[in-house]
Amino acid sequence: MEIEIFGWTLLDYFQTIVDGVLYGATYAIIGIGFTLIFGVMDKLNLAYAATALAGAYFSWGVGTQIPLPAPVAYVISSIAAGGFGYLVYLCNFRYIPSGAPLASLLATVGMLLFLEELIVHSTQGMPQPYPALFDDVMLEWGDFGMRGDLLFVFCLCVLATVFLLYVLYRTKLGMATRAVAQQPVAAQLCGMSVQGTNSTTFVIAGAIGGIAGAMIGASVGILSPLLTVPVTVKGLIAAVIGGLGSIPGAIVGGLLIGAFENTFQLLRSVTERDMYVMLLLFAFLAFRPGGIFGTASRHE
Amino acid sequence: MDFIWGLVQILGVHTIIGLSAYVILLTGQVSMAQAGFCAIGAYIAGMLTVLAEWHIIPGMLVGGLAAGALACVVGFPALRVKGLMFTVATLAFGEFVRLFWFNFDYQISRGGFEIGPLGGEGFRQIRFFPENGWSTLEVAIFVWVWVILIMAILWWMDRSRIGAVLRAVGEDELAAQSVGINLTAVKVTAFTIGGFIAGLGGGIYAHYTTHVEHLNFGVLLATFAIAYPILGGLRTVVGTLLAVLFIQGVLVEGLRFLGDLRNILFGAFIVLAMNLRPAGFIDARVTRALGRLFRAERGGA
Amino acid sequence: MLELRGLSKHFGGVRAVDGLDVTVERGQIFGLIGPNGSGKSTTVNLVCGVFPVTAGSVSFEGAEITNSPPHVALGNGIARTFQNIRLFSELTVWQNLWVAQNGQESVRSQGFFSRWLSGNRGQRASVEEQLEFSGLADKRDEPAGSLAFGEQRRLELARALAARPKLLLLDEPAAGMNLEEVKQLDERLRWLNEQQGITILLVEHVMELVMGVTHRIAALNFGRKIAEGSPAEIQQNQAVQEAYLGRSEEEGDEGGGSS
Repeated sequence: MEIEIFGWTLLDYFQTIVDGVLYGATYAIIGIGFTLIFGVMDKLNLAYAATALAGAYFSWGVGTQIPLPAPVAYVISSIAAGGFGYLVYLCNFRYIPSGAPLASLLATVGMLLFLEELIVHSTQGMPQPYPALFDDVMLEWGDFGMRGDLLFVFCLCVLATVFLLYVLYRTKLGMATRAVAQQPVAAQLCGMSVQGTNSTTFVIAGAIGGIAGAMIGASVGILSPLLTVPVTVKGLIAAVIGGLGSIPGAIVGGLLIGAFENTFQLLRSVTERDMYVMLLLFAFLAFRPGGIFGTASRHE
Repeated sequence: MDFIWGLVQILGVHTIIGLSAYVILLTGQVSMAQAGFCAIGAYIAGMLTVLAEWHIIPGMLVGGLAAGALACVVGFPALRVKGLMFTVATLAFGEFVRLFWFNFDYQISRGGFEIGPLGGEGFRQIRFFPENGWSTLEVAIFVWVWVILIMAILWWMDRSRIGAVLRAVGEDELAAQSVGINLTAVKVTAFTIGGFIAGLGGGIYAHYTTHVEHLNFGVLLATFAIAYPILGGLRTVVGTLLAVLFIQGVLVEGLRFLGDLRNILFGAFIVLAMNLRPAGFIDARVTRALGRLFRAERGGA
Repeated sequence: MLELRGLSKHFGGVRAVDGLDVTVERGQIFGLIGPNGSGKSTTVNLVCGVFPVTAGSVSFEGAEITNSPPHVALGNGIARTFQNIRLFSELTVWQNLWVAQNGQESVRSQGFFSRWLSGNRGQRASVEEQLEFSGLADKRDEPAGSLAFGEQRRLELARALAARPKLLLLDEPAAGMNLEEVKQLDERLRWLNEQQGITILLVEHVMELVMGVTHRIAALNFGRKIAEGSPAEIQQNQAVQEAYLGRSEEEGDEGGGSS
């Protein structure tokens, strides 16, 4: 006998949630990127998701000139996005005084529009195909199945996160980053270069963002300029509901959003699902403003 | 000539939207939801004049009040948390509103035509002005009466105690609290006023374009809204007006021959302007220099 | 008038304030001294509700006010100044005082219009009075950020008094002042206390000021109270001297006994 809830069986829900969690790994990475830059600079870089997707676009552009195997495209995406990350740092943070937070925030929004329009201009606004790996594989257990490409997306995102955590917690560079994030003045007195650390953070965050960008392209099958704003918003929501500044929080937040949006896509429709993700954010702001891993009152 | 008056209308509406963000920016908060409030004002005012056949002025006011009320409700949870979270929350809220209208159908049949908003198709035939025989010039005057009214009120508010209180909160929240200012109340008030003004702007916008759809109210419009006051500088409302004249008048209209390259240019322009003048065109130095000039002239006369 | 009972604040593992009991009587100037990092500023911040207490209670005039946020504390009649001056530096001197007109009578008894928009005659007169008091009348239209250091301190004190508080919390008001300025501050505090009847909690390193002006002193170290008594008793107290000078005397005084 089958139990049905709103016309779907439990298996349908399970399948939907698993697919959503797998795809949510990309949001988790974008969320980590926002968190990382926020942690070091105490500023919001709204152009971050745009640089991630710009990396993917860059590798697509290279792919139109010379045929690339998918893994090479992903590496190129990562490197390009790292470069874009550095560019964002130079244009939006390096030369704008840190006492003018409005200025760098607005500048990152300008950068977001700039990258988005650049993409629209160079593709005439048309969606472009992006290569996936293992898209012909389907792991099946009875009625339950796992898409090979999604599983690959998830695993690569996990690898990227593990790599990032390794860099942050096990290398000298990571220690410097964390030192600057916690005590910029003291770190400077100890002879660390704050600017050097900041720019490195942007490059690293950009590089893992490039992987997420490529994975978004790979699992959707296309790249489209319409992705930029939703990915930006969901990445930010992942960072916020995880507790802004917490990397494990961003991971859980991203996976949660993936599952949540896929469930509402099943129940409602693809045009409505994002609305429910936004409502999820407001539920958190109202009832748990510190996020999943934050303490309830993180006022100052 | 109609082209000129059309441009004058656009400048007016964008000034109103910029002023809506100005009020909120005074308290140090960056709202990315102004496009959303604009959409609420546009759809509600449009539905009231088209479906309920109201006059435009009460339609706009109701649209503005609805946007303001929603701002008040959303403001409480969003403004309790740290400043940057507010930007994230308003960005998400703006997208929520856009998606709401994207999924919203409410059509009735009249004279053999289906009228009213229709999801992704948008809301067509908001024909209050043509049906009542307003010329483009008359519409332009109508728009600017609102602009001048709102600017005058904000100008006066800036010089009142509430203006000083808003700026105090924007400068140092802890110090403001310590002199007895209730932060949440002040910020929610500013956000509500900003939502109301954006709603009014949306009401006018819907009527002069006669057709709105969800794509009009995306991140681009939200960016315009905060870009005008920040680029113009937060010292005075005039800065916002100047920024609108420059961006809409010179960048968008003057460079029409560049086609969609202008949009790229707009992004790049913001980045460049913020690097060169982080406190906007009219910053403290400019106002002080103007003040000296003004005093010197008065003294000489 | 002000009672702290078992007041504690822990930041992570650091016990910034740890089980503090202090009673300030009406009409006193009460000194709070102690080496850097002994929890004096944290105590002020807890009384004002800047951050929530970990344990313990704060009561004022017999009513429990633990964790009430700063603007509520001010409404109750507690005003403060900051260790590193926090003026609204872009606003003019006059506006700095104007936004601070939130004292008990002026808040509750007036209509919306006069309170927020025009600023009624009472508020304006009160601003003039504080301008006079701070000696900044001729700088009324200057941005507060452009004032000299000593003037900024005077303005901040005037701004705190704008609310006509019953209790004034001063967090190191003499820091960075020369001897002449300290003497002026001394007179000012006596005048506020004796003529205006304002109770003062004074956090201070400058011993000339504390020992001269206070009626009673509590000394803190590592978030705990190590001594309390009259200035003379505190000066003689073994524990206080050790806290300031270190157990072995040759370690010198870092900031503690600044002269």
